[in-house]
Amino acid sequence: MTTAPPELDPTTRDALAELLLTLADDEFVIGFWDSEWTGIAPMLEEDVATSSIAQDEIGHARALYEMLAELTGEDADAIAYGREPEAYRHASLLDHERGDWAATVARRYLYETADAVRLAALATSGHEPLALLAAKMRREETYHLLHAEAWLRRLADSRGDAADRLADAVRRLWPDAQDVFAPLLNEETLVARGVLPTPMRALHAEWVARVRPTLEPVAGDLPQSAPRLDGRERRSDAFRWLHGELTSVARSGAGATW
Amino acid sequence: MTTAPSDRVWEVFRQEDEGDPMVHAGNVNAPDEELAMHYAREFYGRRGESYRLWIVARDAITELGDPDLLKPPFDRSHKKPGGYIIKHKLEAAKARAAAEAGE
Repeated sequence: MTTAPPELDPTTRDALAELLLTLADDEFVIGFWDSEWTGIAPMLEEDVATSSIAQDEIGHARALYEMLAELTGEDADAIAYGREPEAYRHASLLDHERGDWAATVARRYLYETADAVRLAALATSGHEPLALLAAKMRREETYHLLHAEAWLRRLADSRGDAADRLADAVRRLWPDAQDVFAPLLNEETLVARGVLPTPMRALHAEWVARVRPTLEPVAGDLPQSAPRLDGRERRSDAFRWLHGELTSVARSGAGATW
Repeated sequence: MTTAPSDRVWEVFRQEDEGDPMVHAGNVNAPDEELAMHYAREFYGRRGESYRLWIVARDAITELGDPDLLKPPFDRSHKKPGGYIIKHKLEAAKARAAAEAGE
């Protein structure tokens, strides 16, 4: 850290902490799900690419957890690995199991496009450390998005089993994908202070306008759907299983220094 | 049945820093240019070790591997700089320079 974070009043600080937790948990959980492909991706090169992207996401989560830890005086690892499943605040889109390759491609496309919209807004945040981190993350996420788009097109153009599976996955994940833009508890404070330059509702509309023209030729008409109030609190058995996996090493030596 | 991604081979060249020569790094399998770019980036650039990559379809490379053209049977030593022995001339020049400096 080169500069001390600007002074924040307690209400803004708590609201920012909530925002950072949602961002970090999104990146952390998708990173762990996608790392499940290591060793079994469709081809060797893709195995390396998917694993590397998954690592990138966990790297972003780390930077976000560290920023959060600095804000709240906690420990980044403790936040990442020390919570019960119900305390995670990732969007319900990321509660689904890994699924087949088409499901992974569909989810990565839905998430990367949503994340791109969100990061573009955060890169202009009035909270400078967050703006700088968002700008830095965007440099890698641009590539992640290109990769997801390449696969989406590839599967869609196959016109066979792969295209059917992709269409099914997009339709199944669509409602939960909206929840990336679920309203935050103290969002008004963040917007009023310029920490979140655009409300989630507006970011959601921007995202829908952007992805609909790409997804509907692939998956057919997609229903009007809105982010839910509890869109980041709907934990599934699939996530509880993943949580057991991703915390297993940390739990094996609680308090250990790695 | 879906078909496996084609195993088109792409040769990858990398430049470690701006201005360095492009050096052959290895190759990747990919069905098209787009994924070849992604895979080249992952294999030869994900650790920040490359400034630039060139990704070339192997079938776009013109190969010359004919020994008659590249390893002709006659002596070619006169085409190499080493074909001219300048060792003695160099020693004489050094001695002369040393003598002049000592004067």
